[in-house]
Amino acid sequence: MSVLPGVVAINTFREAVRDRVLYNLIFFALMMIGAAILVGQISIGIERMVIINLGLSAISVFGIIMAIFIGVGLVYKEMEKRTLYSLLSKPIRRWEFLVGKFGGLLLTLVVNTSLMTLGLGLALYCVSGKFERSDATILVAIYFILLELALVTALALFFSCFTSPMLSTLYTLGIYVAGVFAPGILGISQFTQNWALGAITRFVYYVLPNFHDFSVIAAAAHGDAVPLTLICHNTLYAALYVVLILVAASAVLSGRNLK
Amino acid sequence: MSKGSNNKSHTRAMLLALVAVPLLFVVCAALQVRIDAETRLMYQGNEELLLRSGWLLKKLSLGYEPLLADIYWTRVVQYYGRRARKPGATYESLWPLLDITTTLDPKLMIAYRFGAVFLSEQPPVGPGRADLAVDLVKRGIAENPDEWRLYQDLGFLYSIHLKDYQKAADAYLEGSKNPHAQIWMKVMAARVAEAGNAPETSRLIWIEVYANTKDELVRRRAMQHIQSLDAALGLKRLNESSEDYWRKFGRFPNSMQELRDAGLVGGTLQDPAGYPYVMGPNGVPQLNPKSTIVLDADQGP
Repeated sequence: MSVLPGVVAINTFREAVRDRVLYNLIFFALMMIGAAILVGQISIGIERMVIINLGLSAISVFGIIMAIFIGVGLVYKEMEKRTLYSLLSKPIRRWEFLVGKFGGLLLTLVVNTSLMTLGLGLALYCVSGKFERSDATILVAIYFILLELALVTALALFFSCFTSPMLSTLYTLGIYVAGVFAPGILGISQFTQNWALGAITRFVYYVLPNFHDFSVIAAAAHGDAVPLTLICHNTLYAALYVVLILVAASAVLSGRNLK
Repeated sequence: MSKGSNNKSHTRAMLLALVAVPLLFVVCAALQVRIDAETRLMYQGNEELLLRSGWLLKKLSLGYEPLLADIYWTRVVQYYGRRARKPGATYESLWPLLDITTTLDPKLMIAYRFGAVFLSEQPPVGPGRADLAVDLVKRGIAENPDEWRLYQDLGFLYSIHLKDYQKAADAYLEGSKNPHAQIWMKVMAARVAEAGNAPETSRLIWIEVYANTKDELVRRRAMQHIQSLDAALGLKRLNESSEDYWRKFGRFPNSMQELRDAGLVGGTLQDPAGYPYVMGPNGVPQLNPKSTIVLDADQGP
């Protein structure tokens, strides 16, 4: 296995750090400190729940914003600056470059999410003074958020291979929103009397990446366990989908005339 | 890299994509089916309405109330559709969902009209809350006083579900005063006031619902009620023939054939679904056990 994707990934991560991407952590920290202080004053009995809901939602939203807005420029920016041309003149294949870019952004998101998780843990400890066994579900929720971010990153990277950042943002965001509402799409197929519409919506449901299944924030807030089989299946699903998108992105990028 | 090797690598990547992408889609879809089964168990009975205040949602909607109302109406249909005819299903979020929908868009007629049908249906088809349905329709009338159809719905609820024929006749009469109202609203007012509890009147009302509704779900329900009423009428007539048989022979008939042989009945003795009626114990005619007809709670032999 070539080490080149790893080199590209490390450089992508370094570039993101240089671009002060991780500064969003300051905002997150301020928000969690503010919430920890305020929640105790204005809510009775649900302080922990509010902190968990707010923290996990913020981790997800910040991560998705980062994945989309950085992801859509990953390839496009390299083509615009013409750095991709000099890079591809080296013995690196296009798919290796893509995998490296994907890995770099995912590493950035993992670091960012890990630091936010620490912040959430601290805020939770400040509010309740202890950790509970059921808090393990919070880690599962964060893991699912990371799987979701991996999918969003792959999508943004895919669109970045053939269109402008503006359109890539729209496409990625559109697919993300549709994926979140996937059960609603399946619902249409179950209740419509129109056979064709039912078939189309069922097809769309299975083709769209299902982001809804990655949301276990409510379960985490209520301390409900998430079945191990769901963790395994979601992991496999995200991994397969990422591979699918990266294969498609490689095919698209390999067809681009970079002269 | 040379042009030739570039082309070769592109062809290879395209071939790989053409094979791998559809294959991976299929695997992902198969996996999705399994995930759906797991999450269905996980979220069973966990459907919550976090925001129950339509007023608050209106404030939060930033001027997009009509769009939000449409989305909530879609939720109503899905919520009801998922539960209708499911044994043991509960409908506790149906009223809050309808309340939110009509608060967000008080002109959304469909929510009042079909919402009232959903609320008033007896379990397991609905929650059996005709009282709430009346409240919903009355709210609709207050917001849309020119809609005579809402008076028709109010009359329907009072006569069919609440058996309050005087209020039903009043509702039909009030609606008939609208210059756009159909002439049969007056006929209905007179008919309900005169013989409100007659099955023929109920049948007439359901036929009006069936004829004036485009929604397939409501039409289907109306047709089921019509068939149920027809079956009940058929059983009533057969019961009368059975009593005639007893008077004539001093015992009840054991089969439909005996009734037929005695010349008390003729023609095809089938319910509207096409299943022959059967003779029960003590000469009481019954629906065929295979029949798809379900008699309404207030009917029966």
